[in-house]
Amino acid sequence: MNDHKIIFSGPVGVGKTTAIGSISDIEPVITDEKASDMTKTQKPGTTVAMDYGMISLDNRERIHLYGTPGQERFNFMWEILTQGGIGLILLISNNRPDPFSDMHFFLDAFKQFIGSTKVVIGVTQMDLRNKPRLEDYYLQLEDSGLKVPIFEVDARVKRDISLLVEALLYSIDPGLEG
Amino acid sequence: MKSTKTMTNLAEPSLGPTRLAAIGMDQRQRNALHMIFSSRCNKRYVLTEEASSEICILDLDSFGGDQKWKEFRERHPDSPLILVSINSLEISDRHTLFVQKPIPVERLIAAIETHRRNLVTVDTDSEPAIEDIHCNDIKPIPGEVRVRRKAVSTRRAALLMSESQEQVFVGTSPDIDPEDPDHVDKIFYKPEHYLQGLAQQALNQAVRYNQNINIQGPWPEITLDIVSNKIWVSASDRQLRPYSTMPDTTLEVQLNPVKTDWTPPVDATEHSFQSFIWQLALWASRGRIPAGTNIHQPIYLRRWPNFTRLIITPYAMPIAALWAEQPRSLLDTASALNIPQRYVFAFYSAANAVQLAGETRRAVDTLIAPPAIRRSKLRGLFGSLLDRLRGGKKDHE
Repeated sequence: MNDHKIIFSGPVGVGKTTAIGSISDIEPVITDEKASDMTKTQKPGTTVAMDYGMISLDNRERIHLYGTPGQERFNFMWEILTQGGIGLILLISNNRPDPFSDMHFFLDAFKQFIGSTKVVIGVTQMDLRNKPRLEDYYLQLEDSGLKVPIFEVDARVKRDISLLVEALLYSIDPGLEG
Repeated sequence: MKSTKTMTNLAEPSLGPTRLAAIGMDQRQRNALHMIFSSRCNKRYVLTEEASSEICILDLDSFGGDQKWKEFRERHPDSPLILVSINSLEISDRHTLFVQKPIPVERLIAAIETHRRNLVTVDTDSEPAIEDIHCNDIKPIPGEVRVRRKAVSTRRAALLMSESQEQVFVGTSPDIDPEDPDHVDKIFYKPEHYLQGLAQQALNQAVRYNQNINIQGPWPEITLDIVSNKIWVSASDRQLRPYSTMPDTTLEVQLNPVKTDWTPPVDATEHSFQSFIWQLALWASRGRIPAGTNIHQPIYLRRWPNFTRLIITPYAMPIAALWAEQPRSLLDTASALNIPQRYVFAFYSAANAVQLAGETRRAVDTLIAPPAIRRSKLRGLFGSLLDRLRGGKKDHE
């Protein structure tokens, strides 16, 4: 049995737990706790350790889906979680006060991991707030030289999250036959 | 004309106007048909291209008419066909009707209606016969269910649906030889002659003048709402498609400003600007590229298309991944990914229509050959994961 992992990250309340649940074979293991700090304004419960889901493939291989805790005080765990990971799926909520700042923060925090793998970005809650537009996110990344896929996603919709994963895989290996 | 041995059905019957293709007819003849259909038949029929048509009309008197007929039957053995010729002809094929020229409009309509009824009737062993019908006489068939005469298994139908969808968006053109000018000529289309071009023009106008625009033509109502960044269409995709697949340079079209307090009709379908023009470009191009595109020039991708909200043609994702890395020519892309050229052409036409892709002007891109695709050690695993994601068991949609 071979094991591999994909990392989901992003700020509190962005939909990481839901996104993992959308494609996981198992009910995601959720470590939500009652929020006791500023995060309680975002959602009543928040992930304090990590989320976990899994996809089993026919050839006895498993893809583990790890969701990082959204709060910055847990960022010591991020490096451990990413070791050996296939790539990063970064979720950003368009409905948070400063989504660009969120994006830059997480891209910076995972810089080393992204440098050795790839990242794709899913922007959630665009139905609640339609600005900034996807184009604006790309403009924000122009200086960094990063040409990453950025899609509008609904974390509840399997197709949306699947397409993010597909884009991640093709970014790593465009010659992949699918 | 090159013959193709691939046998296909014409497009499945739709709930919108009956789609007809005119084979072996010049633009003047097509215009005449278009005028008859628009003015005398209340737009019950529309002209479209062969691949998206339900019934074809073939002019036997055109150059190579007999050969065109033979090739048509090789491609579509059971599809409804109306032959027209100045010489009288006995037809023994139950899927073919004959109307002698000069074409009496009533006879032509009667032939179309005869085929149309056969398209919606589950079974009929009798030979089709033309009865004179006027457009005004045409009434909906009670309980009309527009299915083809032939019963097919569910599995087969599902396969056909997928194939026909691909045919609609990507076409079926074989790879071209870039050294053969005749081949190269066939891969071009002129977006400005299609609804795609009009929609692009309307969008430019709407953005430039910050004004809602209505595209007025023979199609259902199309309005660009600059406030909500949406396009509203008073028809389903199925009903709109026939108008998007046929080039027409003679139509009188108006781009009219719409009042700011305009509200969309209750039954209108909502599209984003990008998804609408993307779709129109796929319908119009069907595996071709805009005229003037240099097939040897590297293509850049400005940014990834928002694939979660767009029609994804086969191989669109790897093509995007490749171009995001480094510009490559259309032909080199097909060759590097080992895929038919039409998939690359279709994706380029759509991405180009929404200004996400274009020919690079940087000298460095033409000087340096693109690198070979790097192969991941986990390619096998990724392939299994892709299969799984595309056919997985869970779905929250």
